[in-house]
Amino acid sequence: MIEPVELANFFTVFFSAASVILFGAGYALLFAWSRVSGRPRLMPLAYATYLGLAVSVLVLGNAANLFNNGYWTFIVGLMLVGYLVAPHAVWHLCVGTHAEGDEAIKVSQQR
Amino acid sequence: MAALGTLDSANLNGGQKLAVKFFTVAIALFGAQVLFGMLAGIQYLNPDFLFGVLDFSVNRMLHINAMVVWLLFGFIGAVYWLLEDESGTPVAGLGLGNLMFWVFTLAVVVVVLVYLLVQVGPGELKSIWLINEGREYIEAPRWADIGIVVCVLIFFYNVAATFMKGRFTGIGGVLVLDLVALAGLYLAGMWYTPNISMDQHWWWWVIHLWVEATWEVLVGCLLAYGLVKTMGVRRRIVETWLYIEVALLFGSGILGLGHHYFWIGTPEYWLAIGGFFSALEPIPLVAMVVHAVFDAGHHKLKSSNNPALAWMIAQAFGNFFGAGVWGFMHTLPQINLYTHGTQWTASHGHLAFFGAYATIVIAFVYLAVQKWRGNVWMSGDMAGGWKWKWAIFLLHAGMIGMTMALLVTGYEQSQVERAIGGSSWIAYFEAQAHVWFVQGMNWRMVSGWMFATGFVLLAWDLMTIGKRETRPARSVEVPAAAMA
Repeated sequence: MIEPVELANFFTVFFSAASVILFGAGYALLFAWSRVSGRPRLMPLAYATYLGLAVSVLVLGNAANLFNNGYWTFIVGLMLVGYLVAPHAVWHLCVGTHAEGDEAIKVSQQR
Repeated sequence: MAALGTLDSANLNGGQKLAVKFFTVAIALFGAQVLFGMLAGIQYLNPDFLFGVLDFSVNRMLHINAMVVWLLFGFIGAVYWLLEDESGTPVAGLGLGNLMFWVFTLAVVVVVLVYLLVQVGPGELKSIWLINEGREYIEAPRWADIGIVVCVLIFFYNVAATFMKGRFTGIGGVLVLDLVALAGLYLAGMWYTPNISMDQHWWWWVIHLWVEATWEVLVGCLLAYGLVKTMGVRRRIVETWLYIEVALLFGSGILGLGHHYFWIGTPEYWLAIGGFFSALEPIPLVAMVVHAVFDAGHHKLKSSNNPALAWMIAQAFGNFFGAGVWGFMHTLPQINLYTHGTQWTASHGHLAFFGAYATIVIAFVYLAVQKWRGNVWMSGDMAGGWKWKWAIFLLHAGMIGMTMALLVTGYEQSQVERAIGGSSWIAYFEAQAHVWFVQGMNWRMVSGWMFATGFVLLAWDLMTIGKRETRPARSVEVPAAAMA
């Protein structure tokens, strides 16, 4: 079911796992900031940060031997999709729940 | 009515008068947690320190038990604080609630005295009932366990009956359902089985499901109320988000329980379940960053209580880093095999508990002090405002320092003790004697002193903040019509 991490890969696993979450937060932050402040130029930076997340996920998958098993490979794929779409989904929820009288939302809805 | 800035119970409603009693005991127990943690930290560096007088095992137990109980007192206090406000009616059975407070406090004192006076002895049925049940983190003897359940039932009665008598808000509804789970799950940690795997299986129901499900939801309710009060966020919005967050937390948190079942003798499918939910658990936390940015853009961070708001913001960051980043670093079974139960876990536990829970209780105590002093000014340019800023800085710097130091020692243990030494008894001591471990523990101690200083400053600030203020609080609440 699992193949334990090699000793030489310990640091890579810890570092890449932390990077997944930090890049994930960075992507979410830039994505939301770009939309709230009406600065579309920030959006490529947000996706560049997501790219960092994707690289981190792949490095983690490799170092933690996740690609040696179909189930864990599926989880890697799910993480890539989940972290990508979650900020979009939450943004839509924010717009829906804060719909009354906010200029920032109106701007974002017009885009 | 006393002058603004003077502590006067006439400023509080019945539930709030009871709440400040809980807050007072909570802060005292927070101090006990810091004290016993410091003693245990010194014993890591100097094992002879207080040996035979106050052993490491007792210090560690008191350190962790004090944390669980002070947070519980804080949560109960926070709920009593908002109860009349939310329901629009006086607390039902308030006398019973007051009786429960004194019984609960007395029971805590007796349990702590027994821990201190009976440190060693045979483990038998009598000791389970009267001295120590033996389950890590919930060591309270069986009589105290039953007492806790009775107290929680009284608390539940107060909350549910008050909302039923008054109005049931969204926050109130979620709160009542959450308390059912909170009380029910505690029962899982009370029955005895000689099979250690089964015992651990049920024990985690209390530890994990309390912390990563019911406590998180309770904190969600408290934050929702806190945001309405300090920033005037519209009720409809916070309640909608409360429902969303409850769904996300329960969706990922309940079966996230699986990451505790990796190595306790449970079937292998828990590796798949635990791994799956552990990989996805941080997604809601990351997604919430979007909501935080969205709301910050809305409200420009103007608040009626700056210290409370600062601690609520600290909660968002602390939860994200402590639970999200520190948790995910070692949660997949492929690496958790080596890190489970090392100082790595302690590093994660320190930051997550402080970040997610201690912060929100402290925020509520600041809300309470403000109203207790006649709803005094606690926004910018406050008299003596340096104390809360230095307290929050020292507590966070100390906590981050401890977390980083424990991270280094945990990393070393996972390599030297687990991966190289194969988790043998000798390897355990080799890892403890390693220079990285010793240096890490030294730095942990330095950071612990910083944290302790921050605590003293926090306690001083809570006793004095607003005392020299004569201005009424800044009003931020939106009109009642908009609150519907």
